[in-house]
Amino acid sequence: MNPLTALWLSIVLGACAQIFLKRGVGHQQLAGGAHSYLTLVRSGWVWAWGICFLFATGLWMVAISTMQVSYAFPLLSVGYLVVAVLSIVFLKERVPASRWVAIAVIAVGVALIFRSQ
Amino acid sequence: MSTNSIVEKPELLLQASTAVKKSALWQWAALGAILLGSFGHLLIKLGVTGGAHNIGGESLVARIGHYFLQPAALAGLAIYGAGTLLWIYAVSQRNISFLYPLTALTYVTVALGGKFMFGETISAERWLGIGVVMIGVAMLQFSAKEDRS
Repeated sequence: MNPLTALWLSIVLGACAQIFLKRGVGHQQLAGGAHSYLTLVRSGWVWAWGICFLFATGLWMVAISTMQVSYAFPLLSVGYLVVAVLSIVFLKERVPASRWVAIAVIAVGVALIFRSQ
Repeated sequence: MSTNSIVEKPELLLQASTAVKKSALWQWAALGAILLGSFGHLLIKLGVTGGAHNIGGESLVARIGHYFLQPAALAGLAIYGAGTLLWIYAVSQRNISFLYPLTALTYVTVALGGKFMFGETISAERWLGIGVVMIGVAMLQFSAKEDRS
């Protein structure tokens, strides 16, 4: 697999993992102690998070097995943008303008790093 | 000038030193989390890099499974996990809005690791990009107060 493809796939899977985790824990009352943790373990969303997280980590390994870590690691910050978009679509979250500005700054940085290969 | 001078009230010195100790602990935890997190990534890189075990013909799942079993990669994952535990401690002591921008430092430590552990050449353009990403990550926190959930 092309290392850059592995990197983008890792970022998207990692972002999906965050969305699944939020769906899994979003309405849990964790103050309930052991019982609610058990509910978490039984939650399909939490399992989806675990599986996505595992594969995201695996694909990250595939990416950095041949890429420079000073190149690949900061590119991971594209994940902030992907999570923001997915959270609007799947969690109906509202992303404030100030956060879009921050994400735009990150995107400029990512573009600079991307060009530096 | 101050009515609460340490000469008049020596117990203030004790209070101050306790406060320093308390603050030092979360500072060390936050710093440790950033350093361990970065070192974890670098060890993972060490575990999966190099030609000896890069088998191109294998399936993707087999290749990933193979990487997860590399000793240095496993150590990297464990150290990364330890860093996460330290981070959770730091977060329990200070507001996340104060601590979060510190995570941007990871981009510098990982890049320096790439330079000195793996001999990567980092161009001025890449450093600039890393700096801009760090500013953006730190800026994310400005919008945190607008969150209601």
